[in-house]
This record gives sequence, C-alpha cells and structure tokens, in this order.
Amino acid sequence: MSTLLINKRFITGIAFIAIVAVMCLAPASALAETVGVILPHGAYDYERIQQVLKASLESESLTSNIKFLLQRPYPDPIAYSNAARKLIAADVDIIVVYGASPTFAVLREKPNIPVLYAGVYEPVAAEIKGKKVVGVCTKLNMSSLVRYLRGSTTIKNMGVVYYSLESDSKQQLAELQEIGSKYGFNVSPIDLKYRANLTELLDKSNADAFIITSSIMAVDYLPTILNVATANKIPTASMITREDSAALITLTADPVDQGKRLAQMVTQLSNGKSVGQIDEYCARKVELVYNVKEATRMGLKISVDLVTEATKLINK
Amino acid sequence: MMKKIFHISLCAILLVATILAVPRISHAEDEFLIGLIPEENIFKAIEKHRPLEAYLSTELGVKVKFTILSRYGDIVDRFTSRDMDGAFFGIYTSMLAADKLNVEPVVRSVNLDGSTTARGVLFVRKDSEIRTLKDMKGRRASFVDKATAAGYIFVMAYLKNHGVRDTENFFSEYSFTGSHDSTVYAVLDGRADVGAAKSRVLDRLITKDPMIGEELYIIADSPFLPDNTLMIRKDLDPALKQKLKDALLKLDRTPEGLKILETLGIKRFIDASDEDFSAVRSLTNEAGITPGE
Repeated sequence: MSTLLINKRFITGIAFIAIVAVMCLAPASALAETVGVILPHGAYDYERIQQVLKASLESESLTSNIKFLLQRPYPDPIAYSNAARKLIAADVDIIVVYGASPTFAVLREKPNIPVLYAGVYEPVAAEIKGKKVVGVCTKLNMSSLVRYLRGSTTIKNMGVVYYSLESDSKQQLAELQEIGSKYGFNVSPIDLKYRANLTELLDKSNADAFIITSSIMAVDYLPTILNVATANKIPTASMITREDSAALITLTADPVDQGKRLAQMVTQLSNGKSVGQIDEYCARKVELVYNVKEATRMGLKISVDLVTEATKLINK
Repeated sequence: MMKKIFHISLCAILLVATILAVPRISHAEDEFLIGLIPEENIFKAIEKHRPLEAYLSTELGVKVKFTILSRYGDIVDRFTSRDMDGAFFGIYTSMLAADKLNVEPVVRSVNLDGSTTARGVLFVRKDSEIRTLKDMKGRRASFVDKATAAGYIFVMAYLKNHGVRDTENFFSEYSFTGSHDSTVYAVLDGRADVGAAKSRVLDRLITKDPMIGEELYIIADSPFLPDNTLMIRKDLDPALKQKLKDALLKLDRTPEGLKILETLGIKRFIDASDEDFSAVRSLTNEAGITPGE
C-alpha cells in the first residue's frame, strides 16, 4: 500500500515537473500589446515606414495580437505633447514615434513606457536619450545631396528650406552651411516659421538651387516650393517625399529597411526584452530618386551620374 | 579515275589550307569591333571614345566601332560570342584574355600625370569610425566586380595578407556595382561602408568635385598595376595590326590626336607586352583566386 502511495506521489511529482518544464520551454506566446503610435499628420515618409511596420508585424505569428492606437498630431510641439499624454493615459505598452521633435515631446512627458523612434536624423543632436528610448536613425549624407545638385547646376547661392522648431531640420541647415563655407557657396536659410510669406521668401532668396530639409512642416509646403522652383527654373533637392509631387532629386532613407527594423524592435520588446538590450539601428539603405521629367521640363542637362546612381527614375 | 580523285582531293586540301592561312581581318570586312570594359558609367565611356572611333576609322580605312562589354565577369566569353577584334581590358581581364583567348597586348595608356600604372584603393567615409581591418569586419562592402584587380582582387589579397582566412564572410554584405565610379558613390551616399576602386577613377572624380576627396579616407592601397591594355586577336592581318598600333602610338604627336587623348583623359599610349601581367598574377595568387573562376 505504502509503495503504491510513494509511486503515486512520485508520478504526480514528475507530472508536475513536466508541466512546469513544458511551460518554461514553450516559446513565449503572443503577448497582447497595445502599441501607441505618434505619426505626424501628412508625413508621407513616416506613413510608409508605419505601413511596413504593420505588415512586418502581421507576418510574425508571435505578435499577431498587437493592437495599434494611432495619433496624428499636426506638426506642432503642443500637439505632439498632447498626443503623447493621450497615449500615456491610455496605458499603451510601447510608444512608436516618428520624427525628432515628436520623439523629444514624448520624452519630455517622462513616460515609464518603452519608446521606439524612427525617422530621426541625428538622435544625439536632437537630445534623444534615456533608458527607455531606442530606435531607428536616418542620418543621410547632406554632401551627397549637394554633390548631385551641383551635377545639375552651378551653385553660388543655395536656398535651404527648414523649420526652426524642428531639431533635425535645423541640424541639416547647420551641416549645409558648413559645406557651403567649405566649398564656396552661400546658404540662404528659408524658415517655415514664416510660411505665410513662403512664396515671397523663396523669391527673395535669389537662390540658384533649393534644398528642402527633412522637416515635417515642409511636407505640406512641398508643392508651393516646387511651383516657385519650376517657374524660375531652379533645381531642387529634397529629403522629404509626397505622393503627388517630387523634387528634381530626392534622397531619403529606405522606408522598408526602417519599417522592418522597427518591427523587429517591437517584437523584441513584446517578447520581454528591455530597451537597454536593443541596439539603435541607423538606416543603411537610401532611396535616391531622380525626376528626369522635371529636368527635361526645366531644360536642364540630364545628369548621367544621377541616371546611373538613382534607385528610381521619374520619367512620366 | 584514281588520279582524278587524287587531284580533286589535293585541290580541296589546298583550298581549305588557303582559307585557313589567310589572316582574318574581322567578323565583317567593313567593321572593326573593339570592346570597352565598363570601368565607368557606360554613357560617359561611349561618349569619350567617339572621337577615337572616328580617328581610327580614317587611319585604318575600315569602320571602327566601340562597344561596351556588359560586365567584367563575362568579358572573355563576350569577346568570343560577339566576335570582337580587340578590346580595352582592365589589367586582370587582360591577363585572363591573354591566357584564354587568342589575343595579344598592343598598347596601354599613360595617365595625365605621366604614370603608366594605377592602384586599387580601399576607402571609407571620413566621418565613419572605420580605420582598421578590425573596424571593417561585419561592415557592408561595395566592389566593382569580382574580375577587377583594383576593385576587388587586391582587397581579397589584403585580407589574406592580414590573416583573414574566410574572406567570403568577412564583410556582412558584398555588393558589386559594375563600375569604379558607382562604387565611390555607393560609399559617399552611405549605401556601403567600405569600397574599393581604381585610384585613377577616384582621382578623376576628385578633380571634378574636390568635395569627394574631403569625404573619403583611404585605408589601404594595392601595388601599382599597369593600366588598361588594348588586346587584339592574334589572327588579324599583321599589316592591320601594325597600322592600329602606329595610329594609337602617334596620337600625341598631332593637335588632333592630343584632343582625342584629352577627351579620353589620358596623356598617350605606349607599347604593351605580356610582361605587364606579372604583378597582377602574383596579386591574384596572394588573394587565393584561381584566374577565370
């Protein structure tokens, strides 16, 4: 009888250990996560990253339970802060935020939630740091943009469209000013803070080329800038895109590369990793678009280098 | 009857022998086809060679036509399949052609600075943190083509000489752009972390745009190697071969010729010989590469 009892206890014990072992060894099941997203209104490049992020997560069976809570603030610091507060109040598990200024606004709220950024040009310069934040940076070489532009025209005075309330945009202006002083061309800053008079500012700049920095605010004004440029036959290079209009040259970080990396980070967090265990990723693939149609329309010499190096040509 | 058969056979043999003995002029009597390696942007290359095409057509009395060989890797095969009469090969492909095709070296170019050689350079962006072999490990590399000494083979030799055994997996990505200038732009734009290209092409890009020189940092360079060489079929008419060689060698003696050389971006042509390939042979050996594979 006692032997039978011992055997029963032994078998029960083994079964319990086995169940615990199976539970421990089984892959982390899909944790239901709510991902709060701050995607500035009208930022087409960020929309594309977000689409890839969603598609990548949907294809990962482990994270099929992830729900998105999307905020689309207008490009304004107060609107960014409000969006961040809403997501914190909604107790989301992760915040994904696009652009340097929105990320900075989120961090100012000191959330105790992991924050993943994307589309940030230079996180250190934008003072994006902390134990709860990591993401994908998009440092592009401003000199490449200048070089390709100089392949289309001689530049003596370059008009740079930027927004003084966006750190990335300001940083890019500073880099262009440094390049200009080194290579003998003047830089005329055109601040979108005074966008009410944008057409006048563009005309007054007397620029022989325009560079549009990666400002979220500039996305709305891209058609206006391009209209002025085309009317005056001024070549343009842009670090932002829109579905309906394109500069002569556009240089951006590949949204697919960024979206996929962001999805990996979301997956890692949702599987229990901490922000500190995730490395920042700097987008490595770039998209270089050459608008041959616009070059022809403006009567510019078609740049052979650009035709060869571009990842996409606009012909129609 | 036997006598008749003997005579017919003899005539046939003589006829075949005569046909075989006649030196070939070209695939088509009225065209002399010369291939160009895709060293740089193909549009630029064709444009640059147009004046030379016209000059040689007049000098040789046959229509000379330049054509771009699609890529370095299949240059030897393309030379045969397109029935070319000659081609300006890179130093590695010249060596391959000398080994595998019935061709001989005619002339090679002298650079604008008077040098007759070029080096391969391994470079990174100056604002990157890459400065040593250790820093390069796991980075994305951009090369020209596997069949280029300056744009690939010298880097493999460099890695082997620095104790890297698995050269195939040293970098995280191996991309091949097909031309030297594209490789330079790939690194400049941040599409690759490390690049290798011919020093002459890089120097030309820097002359055109000094910003490029300011942005790149050279980590290593190859020994000096003879530059591009014109190889032609051995079975061409000897008189035509000589005419071609003379026409190219005398280019720097006339104002018209100097203009053509200026467009080509070279100073003049000089005699080439099989001995020119010895340096690239030892480099290939150091890289552990079997020529043509």
